[in-house]
Amino acid sequence: MKSRTTFYTALTYAAGLLFLAVFIGPILWFLALAIRSAETAFEMPPQLTFEPTLDAFRHILVDPGTNAPQLVNSLIVAIGAVLLNLPFSVPAAYALSRFKLRGKKNIMLWYLGLLMAPPIAFLIPYFVLITRVGLQGSYLSMVLVLQTLTIPFSVWLMKSFIDEVPAELEEAARVDGARWHTIMWRITLPIVRPGIIVTSMFAFVFAWNNAAFPLVLSSRSTATLPIGTLGYFATSGVTWNYIAAAAVLAMIPPMIIFLVFDRYVVRGLTFGSVKG
Amino acid sequence: MHATTIRSPQALAPVRKSFVRRNLPYLLIAPSVVMLLALIAYPLLFALKSSFYFWNLQVGPQPLAFVGLDNYVQAINAFDFRAALTNTLILSVVGTATEFSLGLAIALVLLKALPGMNVVRALLILPTTIAPIVVGFLFRYLYDPGGGLVTWVLQSLWLPVPAEGILGSPSTALAAILFVDIWQWTPFFAIVLYASLLAVPDEIIEAARLDRASAWTILMRIKLPLIRRTAIIIVMLRFMQIFNTFDTVLVLTRGGPGTSTRTLGYSLYEQGLVNFNVGLVSAQTWIAVLIVNIIVALYVFFAFRNEEW
Repeated sequence: MKSRTTFYTALTYAAGLLFLAVFIGPILWFLALAIRSAETAFEMPPQLTFEPTLDAFRHILVDPGTNAPQLVNSLIVAIGAVLLNLPFSVPAAYALSRFKLRGKKNIMLWYLGLLMAPPIAFLIPYFVLITRVGLQGSYLSMVLVLQTLTIPFSVWLMKSFIDEVPAELEEAARVDGARWHTIMWRITLPIVRPGIIVTSMFAFVFAWNNAAFPLVLSSRSTATLPIGTLGYFATSGVTWNYIAAAAVLAMIPPMIIFLVFDRYVVRGLTFGSVKG
Repeated sequence: MHATTIRSPQALAPVRKSFVRRNLPYLLIAPSVVMLLALIAYPLLFALKSSFYFWNLQVGPQPLAFVGLDNYVQAINAFDFRAALTNTLILSVVGTATEFSLGLAIALVLLKALPGMNVVRALLILPTTIAPIVVGFLFRYLYDPGGGLVTWVLQSLWLPVPAEGILGSPSTALAAILFVDIWQWTPFFAIVLYASLLAVPDEIIEAARLDRASAWTILMRIKLPLIRRTAIIIVMLRFMQIFNTFDTVLVLTRGGPGTSTRTLGYSLYEQGLVNFNVGLVSAQTWIAVLIVNIIVALYVFFAFRNEEW
């Protein structure tokens, strides 16, 4: 019996190591690409040891004509998308959580259904529309269009957080004669502040990782990081270490957010429908 | 719960509630609905109208002629669009099914709760956090015929690698794209299923064990039914996402070689933003939207029939 348990334990650890090798190995290998010289990128067999260099990062962040502005652009667009989405999604989530509504299930599914539409299909109409109103290449155009992702996501996730606030607290305030807006601002929202932060963080990741919208709506000066990496691909002679360095910049913020908010990952990824 | 379940003393006299009070929940939802309708309805209506016209931006800035259903006929008859449909369905169905099965297997290993396994669980989510376009670059490097890690691993295992590379051969390219999606999203299923299974009460499992139920029976008859709702939701979300995959294909293969990795998302991109064939891409858009809506509506109908909200 004892030896069988030991065997199973060993097997479980072996499986754990296999998962790490398959799912994390490639990421580390790609991180290594950003700090090795371009010549050693494609050696066969792959070389684990190499002289690390920060040349690629210097090239994309410090040299003239760098990606540094794209890093700033990515931040502006993602933060803008999150901030614009809050005044729209928080009241909606509050209403869907706190009031009896006819067709609540259908309204919730409608929000979700919006995530089914192929974003690519919208790009031509957006392009035409945004050119007509003279917003082409602006941050605002991207921030606006990203709402198609961030609002439905935030409504679902916020609702799950507001659902958890005990109704008794609001009842007590109502007995004391507080109006609904006082209750919402003074009681409910302060309690769900962590939920608002978590929702904002994951909405940030959604916006940050989006490449389709900036591909069409950004200009040279407002291009975000994903578009920057594509740029290295279009030029003659693919410079892999530069691509990797720019990609690493794009990878780091979402990774940090997911690791810091580990407790909420399941909830965030399932739009609040699974508590985790 | 309603805004007026308990009345304050001064409200005992019958008062007509104001318009705002009566419609409060709807007024709170309205801004987001209006915003989304503006962002979604306009493009869809624009596409609907454009789909009946011959309109190519390379030919002229305005629609040239009303052509009725020609664009739809052309789309359905186009060999590359049909290939895109087939590939998209293969990716969505095989991808979602594989990711669910592998994710469940990983979740069951994580549930063993041995010391150190929580580190594995925390790190495992990383592939899912990366932007799909960046994952495209990552695998483009790994698949490189000259010195990619995957190529090297396959060759070391004496497996045949096509001379033109994994992405360069029509026989392996779609499988390569599928593998990328599986790599990025299996952890998502693993983490979510693990969290749901963790919530299954131990007493039930213990009782089943005392009744000599096998591990397989416990999984199929107890654990899975208990996390049914979660499973329904994540399968639906994932299916919808794969159906619209675009970023990874753009970076890895641009739909090639031939039409072997063309997907709906990529097809729309190429017709719209490379060929500027607005009329045709609008018809394709509507076909795509209808297909995904029909599939998801059927799925929701059958899956949520007995579900309470």
